[in-house]
Amino acid sequence: MIVLGIETSCDETAVAVVEDRRVRSNLIASQTDLHARFGGVVPELASRAHVEALNPLLDRALEEAGCRFSDLEGVAVTVGPGLVGALLVGISAAKAVAYATGAPLIGVNHLEGHIWANFLEHGPPEPPYVCLVVSGGHTMLVHMPEEHRYEVLGQTVDDAAGEAFDKIARCLGRGFPGGPALDALAREGDPNAIAFPRAMADSGDYDFSLSGLKTAVLRYVRAETEAGRTVNPADLAASFQEAVVDVQVAKTIRAALEKGVRTILLGGGVVANTRLRERISAEGAAAGLRVLYPSLELCTDNAAMIACAGASRLARGERTGFDVEADPGLELA
Amino acid sequence: MIVLGIETSTPQTSVAIGTEQRIVGHAALVGPRRRDVVIQVLDHLLAHTGLELAAVGGVAVGIGPGLFTGLRVGVVTAKTLAQVLGVPIVGIPSLDVLAFGVRHTSRTIAAVIDARRGEVFYAFYRAVPGGIVREGEYQVAPPDHLVADLEARGGDVLVVGDGAILYRQQLEEAGARMELASAAWAHPQASCLVELAAPRLLREEHDRLFEVVPLYLRKSDAEIAWDERRRGATA
Ligand SMILES: [Zn+2]
Repeated sequence: MIVLGIETSCDETAVAVVEDRRVRSNLIASQTDLHARFGGVVPELASRAHVEALNPLLDRALEEAGCRFSDLEGVAVTVGPGLVGALLVGISAAKAVAYATGAPLIGVNHLEGHIWANFLEHGPPEPPYVCLVVSGGHTMLVHMPEEHRYEVLGQTVDDAAGEAFDKIARCLGRGFPGGPALDALAREGDPNAIAFPRAMADSGDYDFSLSGLKTAVLRYVRAETEAGRTVNPADLAASFQEAVVDVQVAKTIRAALEKGVRTILLGGGVVANTRLRERISAEGAAAGLRVLYPSLELCTDNAAMIACAGASRLARGERTGFDVEADPGLELA
Repeated sequence: MIVLGIETSTPQTSVAIGTEQRIVGHAALVGPRRRDVVIQVLDHLLAHTGLELAAVGGVAVGIGPGLFTGLRVGVVTAKTLAQVLGVPIVGIPSLDVLAFGVRHTSRTIAAVIDARRGEVFYAFYRAVPGGIVREGEYQVAPPDHLVADLEARGGDVLVVGDGAILYRQQLEEAGARMELASAAWAHPQASCLVELAAPRLLREEHDRLFEVVPLYLRKSDAEIAWDERRRGATA
């Protein structure tokens, strides 16, 4: 089944063509430069950029995939969660393609997309899984007992991991987005240099909290500066990152063991973080668990993951009507 | 040539199908709830007229100015339909569409669309045989700017649009010789859009698909704030 995927939930305009879990094209027009001077994504600018980027991308995605609109057997689009105005751009385009080609429309949850990115590279789904979804907007631990069924075990009670990375990176003068910069910096530093709090590590549930850690980092920087000491940015980045990763790894492995699941799936932009990959792979293996995560270009927001999840839903006979609306707060389960 | 027109710059979603000679069908939804209903209205219209989407030979879209989110829905839907169908597209400013509807007048026409936040989008037009000609630029400003413009022009003016209805009192108090057009013409109609676009499509004066973008006239809040900070910093 040849399925077109469209994803515009945040600041990446993405279009992809996927055939039976094989990526035939996967294009992304990034708006990072557009938002950089504002230190974060500006919703109105994101929506405007999506309008300009989407149609040329659609042409190129089909061309690279070597197919025409009439070859499409499904149109999958992110309907939430995300920025409502941004989502609407993708949804409008998807409806138009579906209506004009007669291919069925399927709305996909962005977070489900991040989980399904794994099945583009690691074979068909073989649930059950425990999935850790970490991105600029989400930090969530999910149990997937069977295909398309989700039980949210826990999530952040305040900031998402990506947000925290951005804020600390800004504090260190490393610009926006902060994730890649912090990751690179941390590689030069000592993760045990500074003992930051591991928030909610022993809370007994699967929730996460990052605002306390963020405050602790900022307070540390202020205290050191006031005391006339220079802060080693690499040590600070490494120690902060370690505190985040520690809790994520521990809770994910505990959830897998408690649910009796053999495989952990990672998804979301923060999975690009090398320390998280290293630690969870090593500690997962030590606990007898398989840990799967997508390659870098499928971790960040993309449309191939949306097409992959959408194709599976279409194959089960699911359809989305043209009355579907953007749902900025769409829940996974 | 059968032309499909889509207009969503105001709280109305208007879709029409027609040729340069006649409007075959027109459907519009307007109400307090903002929803993305273009495809549903289009589907209804095709079913009602018995036309196939494949019969459409050109697409026309109102590019605003207007309410950003709704405007984008119309523009993206129109562009994508044109792209899939492989037909030409024409983007026409929604203020032109609004003025075109009331062109049978010897007065100056002021087309006024509510821009929210205490502002209106507006432009002035003069009727000419077969259509209208715009006089001056597209504006976004508080209604008292419009009042000042009306007073400066003198003469009789026909004021049309949801922005004119919203600020009716202010406009009337201005003492300008103005008349408010019927509330039935408060929104730009896709049927007018089809009439305006059909000759252009026939003459093959269409736009490049990828270059059709909304006419925003107003920057995003973040950019406005940024510009103000920079001005403050350099002052
Ligand atoms: Zn994401």
